[in-house]
Amino acid sequence: MIAFGRIYLVVIITFLYLPIAVMVAMAFNESELYTLPIEPSLRWFAKLAANAPLLSASRNSLLIAFATSAIATALGAMAALALERRQFRGRTLLRLLLLPPIAIPWLIIGTAMLVFFFWTGIGRGLHALLIGHVALAIPYVVLIVGAGLQTLQADLEEAAMSLGSTPVHAFFMITLPLWLPSVAAAALFAFAVSLDQFVISYFLSTPGVSTLPVEIYSSIRKGFTPEINAISTIFLAVSSALIFVFAQLSNLGGKRGSG
Amino acid sequence: MTSHLSRRSFHALFSSAFGAGLLTIAGSRRADAAATEITVLNWKGYGTDEAFALKAFAEATGIAVKHDYFNAEAEMLTKLRTNPGAYDVVLINSARTQQVQADGLIDAIDLSAVPNAKDLSPSLRDHPNILVDGKPYGVAWLWGMTSLAVRHGKVADANSWAIFSDPNYAGRLALFDDSITQVGIGALLTGQDPNNPKDLKAVTGALKAMKPNVKLMWSSEDEWNKAFAADAFDISDYWSGAAARSIKIHKLPLDFVVPKEGAIGWLDTLAIPSSSTKKAVALQFINYMIDPKFYVTWATQSGAPASTNAAAMNALPPDDLNHKIYKPEDLAKLKFMSALPDDRRQAFNDIWDEVKAYYAK
Amino acid sequence: MSRDFRALTRPALARRRWAIAALVAPAYGWLTLAVFLPLSAMLFFSFLKAAPFGTRPLQFTIDNYLAFVRRPYLVDVAWTSIQIGLWTTGLSALIGLPAAMALARATKGRSQQVLFLLIVLPFWTNGLVRVFSWTMVLREGGVLDYALHLVAPPAPPFSLLYSFPAIVIGLVHAYLPYMILTCYLSAAAIDEAYIEAARSLGARNPMIFAKVILPLCLPGLISGSILIFVPVIGSFMEPRILGGRVGVTMGTMIEDQFVQAFNWPLGAALSFTMLGVVLLLFGVSSRVLPRRILAQ
Repeated sequence: MIAFGRIYLVVIITFLYLPIAVMVAMAFNESELYTLPIEPSLRWFAKLAANAPLLSASRNSLLIAFATSAIATALGAMAALALERRQFRGRTLLRLLLLPPIAIPWLIIGTAMLVFFFWTGIGRGLHALLIGHVALAIPYVVLIVGAGLQTLQADLEEAAMSLGSTPVHAFFMITLPLWLPSVAAAALFAFAVSLDQFVISYFLSTPGVSTLPVEIYSSIRKGFTPEINAISTIFLAVSSALIFVFAQLSNLGGKRGSG
Repeated sequence: MTSHLSRRSFHALFSSAFGAGLLTIAGSRRADAAATEITVLNWKGYGTDEAFALKAFAEATGIAVKHDYFNAEAEMLTKLRTNPGAYDVVLINSARTQQVQADGLIDAIDLSAVPNAKDLSPSLRDHPNILVDGKPYGVAWLWGMTSLAVRHGKVADANSWAIFSDPNYAGRLALFDDSITQVGIGALLTGQDPNNPKDLKAVTGALKAMKPNVKLMWSSEDEWNKAFAADAFDISDYWSGAAARSIKIHKLPLDFVVPKEGAIGWLDTLAIPSSSTKKAVALQFINYMIDPKFYVTWATQSGAPASTNAAAMNALPPDDLNHKIYKPEDLAKLKFMSALPDDRRQAFNDIWDEVKAYYAK
Repeated sequence: MSRDFRALTRPALARRRWAIAALVAPAYGWLTLAVFLPLSAMLFFSFLKAAPFGTRPLQFTIDNYLAFVRRPYLVDVAWTSIQIGLWTTGLSALIGLPAAMALARATKGRSQQVLFLLIVLPFWTNGLVRVFSWTMVLREGGVLDYALHLVAPPAPPFSLLYSFPAIVIGLVHAYLPYMILTCYLSAAAIDEAYIEAARSLGARNPMIFAKVILPLCLPGLISGSILIFVPVIGSFMEPRILGGRVGVTMGTMIEDQFVQAFNWPLGAALSFTMLGVVLLLFGVSSRVLPRRILAQ
């Protein structure tokens, strides 16, 4: 049964990485039009090194993603705590309010934000981008942290308190450690949502200040060259490194059971 | 069993990320660049952002040129409307000039202040689409056509839009995902004026008849190139400037033909937003854009649509592709896109949406 | 001091209300500024005849909300979108839940962490590049076709591109990690004691799965389904790039209104109609499902 499980996981991971493998392979392919078979070449990485706009856009993307992840995770995790662990009036309404940012196509939200920010003087720029990205990441954080919290047994905290612990102490000693893996996972997702977000960035970025998905989307018009694959490959390598460093700092594995 | 993520390292991660976020915000509030630069709003890779041009212009005038891009005409409108003062030169399809002028967004151009304007073909420079009360609201810059592109060697004697419903090419057609163009082709097929077809049902019928042939829609030159190179289709409607580039740069085997029913023409202008604060410099840039020196370099290096400057077209080398594509006898068959009232534009869009839903069934 | 929560004093109750408010206010405040207020403006627009720019006076109409009546082809398009949503969510659940369980129960320690991160990592690649990479896998002359001909040279050219399955493949690939993640969070939190108890009572694996594991993973399945179904019905990138002429969805129709017709009111009305349907679905299911869970 265990062996079967492991084989299944390998199959799934192969599926998930098939197009990514293609993406990486094409970064090393001579052809500009992505034709097979692959002729090895490093020229796209060389071109990338000279492509200042693409590089600065990548930098912006990373910065914004970090900031978004931090802010959205903090705000969303707090909200999830209240929504999942306590009964109160208006809880269903608050839950339903999480849906519009996910349900409404980003194109609509992006245009709405553009117009609203214009009218209220918030304008465009990195600050506007950050506002937009965090707003879009929050529902994901709340839903993911919420899923983790729901399965946790709520009475553990109360049990601790009936034994004399204060609520705050119970929270930090019992709930927080069990809760952190969901929060960490949500943070990773908030980062991904921000990194991949192009519609909002597209509307709210000013000339000369751009993010990677916007650059990629704009290149569709005329020159989606393998430089894009090259930068994506680099991003993948850097993300892998970051994630594995993060893994060293935390334990995302099972919390119950043996150990 | 307890988490190995110590609170300290968690705090460290969060605060550094937060700090990075604050720094980014602080950075974006820095004072804006000096006044020796202008901002151009255009399609990406459409002439105004050619590297050699920016360099030459900067050397000649000391002015840097920044760019902002749009991916659709509606976006151009949105950006113009929500960013007063941000743009100094904007590319506007002549079909939109009057609409944009009616909203007070662009200024009339004083052609006497543009030295190269005297070499522009009069019929294009003074095209009725660009004029409001006899004054031009843009400088006619480039023109081209959306016409028939077929795979060399596989398609013989293509001379009519009817090939789009020819059973020999089932599943080998790629259509441009644009309601104005497609309704225009439908109008040409039914003998009507692409700008004002009276019998919309006939247009819809002509478009629906293409269903067995339609394989995919394309919406950008790059998409077209990649799909064509991958042998996904053999016949298509395509832009003339893009066709030149596909042949010249990408060495794709295509023939570009103007069918007997005619083709859809477009005339692009460079305009100056009324909210611009650097109009004199903007005019200088526009003057450079219609200069034969710029055009010939651009056309021979990468491939470009036709220039409105007759001197520039004549300055092209005799074996240049553009001479092959823009034959004088085809000009008569060209129907330029003109201004559309909102409800007609919406009607065209509804037709195309209906046809696309029909294709998808 | 008594900590009996069954008899909260009024100040304690008030303190608890403040605590809840303090927890939710920052997130929802941010959402209000950045999403709800702008969307209210859009909602206002959806009752206009044309986007409110320029000097023309505002004209009100509910025509845009009658779009499905005025434009019957939209019903087909909406149905296609829902089908895409159902297939994507269903397949993601079918594939994702076993993967999550395998991850939670068949692996341990370092390898478990590594596998988990490997599953999350594709999220950090750009979505557009991934979709284009799929075209290179699925198209004629692409990776699958190439591989087929390596194995069986006389086979005819093979292409999955520009079809409904291609759209679903692309979407499942993009959204599967959500389902695996949420189900994993639930599966990993299942107390081993439950399983042992069931086993000691004589239950075998299929029974354990149906009666113990599945119900406890339900929150993960539901969250995952929300995170997948809701955005997928509004998607336009994958349908357009992978679907060719069959890639016509509510997402692409709405995009057309904004990008080709500059008809913001109609685009907004279509979106809010979609949102209304989604809210209805979840409003109904949030009443039905908790009862079913309690009944287990």
